[in-house]
Amino acid sequence: MTAVRPHTSRRLPSVMAGAGRAGDPVAVTQLAETDLEAVTAELARHPGGRLADLFAADTDPVILRAVWALDLDQRYLIIETPVSGSRYPALSEIAPAAFAEECEIYEQFGIRPAGDKPLNRVATPPQADIELPRLGRAPAEPPADVHAPHVVGGHAFEFPFGPVRQVAVESLYYGLVTSGEELVDLYLFTWHKHRGVEWRAQGQTPQQALFHIERAEGLSAIGNGWAFAAAAEAALHIEPGAAAMSGRAAALELERLYNHAAAIAALCQACGLAVGRAAAEIALERFLRLNAVVFGHRYLFNVLAIGGIRTAPDLAALRAGLPAAYGELRRAADALLATNSFLDRLEATGIVTTEEAGRLGLVGLVARAAGVAADTRADHPSGPYSGLRPAVATQAAGDALARLRVMLAEAAESVRLLETLIGTGALGHGAGQPEESGTPRPGPAGRSGLGWAESPRGESLAWVQLDQSGRISRARLRPAAVRNWRGFDDACRSQNVFTDVPIIEASFWLTVAGTAR
Amino acid sequence: MSTTTAGGGPVTTEAEAAAAEQLRSAVARQFGRSLHIRTLDTGSCAACEQEIRMLAAPHYDLHRLGLFFTPAPRHADLLLVTGPMLRAFAAAARKTYEAMPGPKLVVATGACALGGVYQPDAFSYGSADQVLPVDVWIPGCPPSPLALLHGLLVAVGRLADKVSGLSFVAGASS
Amino acid sequence: MPLWFVRGLRRGVVTTRYPDRSEMSARDLPTPPAFRPGALTGEIADGLVAICPSRALTREGGTLIFDVGACTACGRCGEYAPGAVTASGEFELAAARRSGLVKRIGLGAEVTR
Repeated sequence: MTAVRPHTSRRLPSVMAGAGRAGDPVAVTQLAETDLEAVTAELARHPGGRLADLFAADTDPVILRAVWALDLDQRYLIIETPVSGSRYPALSEIAPAAFAEECEIYEQFGIRPAGDKPLNRVATPPQADIELPRLGRAPAEPPADVHAPHVVGGHAFEFPFGPVRQVAVESLYYGLVTSGEELVDLYLFTWHKHRGVEWRAQGQTPQQALFHIERAEGLSAIGNGWAFAAAAEAALHIEPGAAAMSGRAAALELERLYNHAAAIAALCQACGLAVGRAAAEIALERFLRLNAVVFGHRYLFNVLAIGGIRTAPDLAALRAGLPAAYGELRRAADALLATNSFLDRLEATGIVTTEEAGRLGLVGLVARAAGVAADTRADHPSGPYSGLRPAVATQAAGDALARLRVMLAEAAESVRLLETLIGTGALGHGAGQPEESGTPRPGPAGRSGLGWAESPRGESLAWVQLDQSGRISRARLRPAAVRNWRGFDDACRSQNVFTDVPIIEASFWLTVAGTAR
Repeated sequence: MSTTTAGGGPVTTEAEAAAAEQLRSAVARQFGRSLHIRTLDTGSCAACEQEIRMLAAPHYDLHRLGLFFTPAPRHADLLLVTGPMLRAFAAAARKTYEAMPGPKLVVATGACALGGVYQPDAFSYGSADQVLPVDVWIPGCPPSPLALLHGLLVAVGRLADKVSGLSFVAGASS
Repeated sequence: MPLWFVRGLRRGVVTTRYPDRSEMSARDLPTPPAFRPGALTGEIADGLVAICPSRALTREGGTLIFDVGACTACGRCGEYAPGAVTASGEFELAAARRSGLVKRIGLGAEVTR
């Protein structure tokens, strides 16, 4: 089923009064620490409101920034709160989605939420001899080593798995608590892949930083890169041309197509269906080759620029290659949907409920397969998406099969969007003049901007603050993977057995690199 | 190129190149047309892993060349290393290498593992050869499946190292 | 599963013949740059060194040192100096020695400094 959001006018939360002009896609407001809890509670109750990100910047005082997505109002709201002491109101008590960020802020800035809740290790490794640079001050006490409150008792035991695990997948440490077959609990460590991408961006020009941002999570190079570029452009008051924005949209849809094909291949592999995997991989390779012909890179690296795009798409190649590549995927999908042994394996596996998806702030296809019709292309349209009006595919069941069905519906919609972009001539030549690389643009210190894009895994968010010389003083990158790994443990715990975990992982189609950036 | 032993691990120097060459011919003899590959992600962006997975896809099918993936380091003859060798991961990387039986090969894969994307700093050693004794280097960001096939066949001595003879001067014959 | 069997037969073989035959799709891959020494001035060389995001280029007097291993084939050098830089077209880049990937390119044009 698909749903197009009605654009109804509704009463805005009281904190929005005076925050930005009506119609602006982003509103910024300042709030005192004492008001933070009441406003958070109000926003959490607001229909379509979700805490999309929470991060800190500056030191002296540390400024806490909560980014609220008000999806039904087509707005983002940034709440800035200076934190004078070492504690701030525990937002995760009201909006549980904030917990991972509270842990991250504790590691990086040394401030923690009120209360005694233990804060988990996120990015800093436990090895005593490795001291990583931080964005702010070190915490007084090291974070707790246990990722989730897990109980091992009775007949259950803990099965450590990783970080070196299956072949040709990313490193990831699983702590599986099991009674032999049923999965009792599960927690993940990802600190061994933390590369300090946000730290690296400091002192660089946005154009320079884009190099590492694209490589933070290679399978979302466009989704994350677009979000970051848009944030920098908002800070610099640059508006890319319409052709460049259409080029970005074409790249983003191609990214979605190859990712969904790859996820379907991984699902088949996890289910032991070699023939299905081969069929999906033929489609995947066709999409990767299409990327190479159209944009010059199989994974769409080096396409974006601050202020535009570096590589204009080869329209003729796109027009010629798209139907064949999608045809392969369609045929593979038709065969898969007629293979009951495969579908039975996915049904009721890794269930995410609508309530969980909302509570944990899940995004992308994981949320949509659980009945939450959130898609930044529809809710917060930028570039050509306001005209394209993408249909948002949703499913109600929330299991791996629902996620497969959402992927297939989204692939069809991506093809429709690409055909529309080709047909309307929006992808003309003249990609616009991107900002000359490496040239900082001086301006008032503290200029900042928020950017977003709907990556194949869901909403990518980025926030950029520039200093006087035009270099980055703080960059925040929140790929969709950061959000959705949070739903992964819950999905694994819900009545699943050991061998379901690879299937659930494939159906979520997340990356470790995206969360441990 | 001579490198330091900042990572505390063995590194390949010019002087050891002959020994590596000897090992390669021994590997080619010993493994014939059956070689098992274990991958190791030391901090990649996931694109290298995706390209490595494509090696087993119908378009490339590395099995036809007698190359196979194995999840167990104890069954592996070749370690395909991606990522910039993060410090937090180095212990796991060493353990994986030590778990492999000899003779064994290490192939550094992608610009990160070769020192192109991350410089040596507090987060990473900056390249795989700072910690592991690398035998073959495959450039690319990420290396395409074709480049990976070429690199694996160079590693087992079935194709020649071509790039060492190239000048990267436009119009030059070699 | 007769469905998959028939489907596979109908689909035919897609597997590349590489390395026995050359592979057409290779020409669409990004490749590291090749340089035209005749057009490489000291000034251009310095500009290339500054613009390379992966520090694959360094300059030693009259020589531009190009580390193919560090290169990500991002194409920024070719955009910066299209007259002095072109795509090499090489994708078979695996080296059995790390030093085999480090290239020394003499600056052919008038060298400053």
